[in-house]
Amino acid sequence: MATPPQVKALACPNCGAGVQVRTYARTLNVVCVNCLTVLDASTPELQILQKFEGATRIRPLVPLGKRGKLESEAWENIGFQVREIVVDGVPYQWHEYLLFNPYKGYRYLTEYDGHWNDVKTLKSIPSPCTVSGKPAVQVLGRTYRHFQSAEATTVYVMGEFPWQVRVGDQVRVADYVAPPFMVSSETTADEVTWSIGEYTDGRRIFQAFELKEAPPAPRGVYANQPSPYAGRTKRAWTTWLFLNILLFALMFFFSIFTGNQVVLDKSYYFTTASKGEASFVTDVFELKGRISNVELTTSTDLDNDWAYFGFALVNEATGQGYDFGREVSCYYGRDSDGSWSEGGRNDSVVIPSVPPGRYYLRVEPEMQSDASGGGSADHRMNYRLQLRRDVPYNAFFWFAALLLLVPPVFTSLRRAGFETRRWNESDYAGGSSGGSDSSSSDD
Amino acid sequence: MIFGKLFLTYGLAILALVGIAEYRGWSLNTVNEVKGVPKTIRNNPGAYRSHFMFLPRYIGGK
Amino acid sequence: MSHVKAFCPNCGAPVEFLWSSAVQTTCEFCKSILVRRDVSLERVGQVADLPPDVSPIQILTEGLYRGKSFQVVGRILYEYELGGWNEWHCVYNDGTSGWLSDAQAEYAVSFLVQPPAPLPPADRIARGGTFHWNGTLYQVTTITRARYVGVQGELPFEYWDKSAALFADLGTPDARFGAIDYTENPPLLFLGESVGFDSLKLKNLREFEGW
Repeated sequence: MATPPQVKALACPNCGAGVQVRTYARTLNVVCVNCLTVLDASTPELQILQKFEGATRIRPLVPLGKRGKLESEAWENIGFQVREIVVDGVPYQWHEYLLFNPYKGYRYLTEYDGHWNDVKTLKSIPSPCTVSGKPAVQVLGRTYRHFQSAEATTVYVMGEFPWQVRVGDQVRVADYVAPPFMVSSETTADEVTWSIGEYTDGRRIFQAFELKEAPPAPRGVYANQPSPYAGRTKRAWTTWLFLNILLFALMFFFSIFTGNQVVLDKSYYFTTASKGEASFVTDVFELKGRISNVELTTSTDLDNDWAYFGFALVNEATGQGYDFGREVSCYYGRDSDGSWSEGGRNDSVVIPSVPPGRYYLRVEPEMQSDASGGGSADHRMNYRLQLRRDVPYNAFFWFAALLLLVPPVFTSLRRAGFETRRWNESDYAGGSSGGSDSSSSDD
Repeated sequence: MIFGKLFLTYGLAILALVGIAEYRGWSLNTVNEVKGVPKTIRNNPGAYRSHFMFLPRYIGGK
Repeated sequence: MSHVKAFCPNCGAPVEFLWSSAVQTTCEFCKSILVRRDVSLERVGQVADLPPDVSPIQILTEGLYRGKSFQVVGRILYEYELGGWNEWHCVYNDGTSGWLSDAQAEYAVSFLVQPPAPLPPADRIARGGTFHWNGTLYQVTTITRARYVGVQGELPFEYWDKSAALFADLGTPDARFGAIDYTENPPLLFLGESVGFDSLKLKNLREFEGW
């Protein structure tokens, strides 16, 4: 049998313009490129099926008739439709391109706000299930969460179709997502068709069809758009875990290898009643080893009282002094709300970077005297001073732990933000989107 | 990819800093360093003038 | 292998049967529909000109399904409100007869089977109906009210004057396929699976210029 001519050239009965019909494309309906009338392609007379009532023309980004290479196969863009759903009174339109290959059949490209999907028919029927109490479907080993259901109306057609198309055709559409994939069902009274789409970068499509211009920039987050943060979040927390293990090891190391040497441990008595100089100096002691810290612990028996200590750690040889003051106060009682307490009997301070050498401590204790007013004249306390050389200082470890949390928490927040933006476009906007997006790709 | 490396570098830098701080005996407490405390103070502690920062009340030696 | 030969009662042209069990065939030359009555043929009608073929599959196309090779010997062309499709009659190398459904380049292989349970009548079948057969859930995906456009080649039944044909297509989670044919009473059941074009390893296909 002779191969039929590739393209038939016919005349549009409405406007007379030339209409091309690809004989190899099983075309049933063809739209006149000039007047946009839908014509019956099954006879050469091209009966008029529907006239164009719209106001504006919409230009397909992939021109009709252009061939492109997808998965090493040639596909020709033979048809173009614009479909619309209305959500909360707002219309949302997307574009669909019908691609054809005589041996491979048909395939779709859909585009909305710069987000492209490569769509094929799905012959495996998905089974309904639930995920976190919300509807979902399962097919070919993957679970897809319900994203949106709506009535889709065809609002614009161009090109050739192997089935009947009219502006105004309506189908019920339901989308289920497992980024980067999406399965959709289109339902009419007599038929349900399933398809599976994969999110594709517009630049790959434009490259496949050798289009010179740049694809439209994507706006917002699309239903099955893969999250750029998915792999990143897992890696961030893994790195965090690793760093925390190191931090723990560091903490452990320093708790073992610090000297913790007690160089002074003496008890004293102070009273405001005694006359004479309150300040005194301790015996000289030796701080050994490298430059390190010194921990001074003051333990008192204060009872609803306070005391103030002026301390100076002085190097006997060099005369270098480390001057600081500490307040210790301990108050407690009962009132209508129960018992309360404020402060404590003991105080601890770590003096940094003290070089080794022979030192003594100058101490000047002070308690409330008559001149400050109130209370009995005599304030007294017993107190004990302990000095430890080279102690581990835990505050730094806590700071480090906090700082280490910042990047993974930041990444998780960004990822959650992305998912919130994704689900804001769904039937579930405003509720909890929860869960994690399933992602099979790594950055 | 870049983020991962950045985080690791950031984390290791923090750990290194903590290691140095612990080794050198740093702390967050502020201490006033005084130079040239005379040896006579050991005999006369009252003659020492305190130099620490917070002086909420009158402190006086003699 | 010797094929059964006969002569067209209308125009006298030789008719050779590729399949020994063919019940009906068409005469290539005068387009008469011929029914086999033992070795003689009875002319029962005429085939109208079929629309130009656009399927890559044609009579005498050969293929492979699950290790068995087959040859396309016949065809029924259907049309319904929204479009049309081909049912290719395939004869396998072991003599069995099967069908290759070709709808908008989506292909499914199926075979006539005995229904595991009585099938619902035509007025009770609807989209979404389910059947549990052999541990698989079959769902009715499409109800099609079609008409014959034409026939070609050898068919296992007498198909030529059916103007109204009701079909229910069935799908499963693992892409199996089923079709209930209500042109007969009791209805016929065909079971099989959706197949990819490449998996059939088809040879002797129609060629398309530029592809």
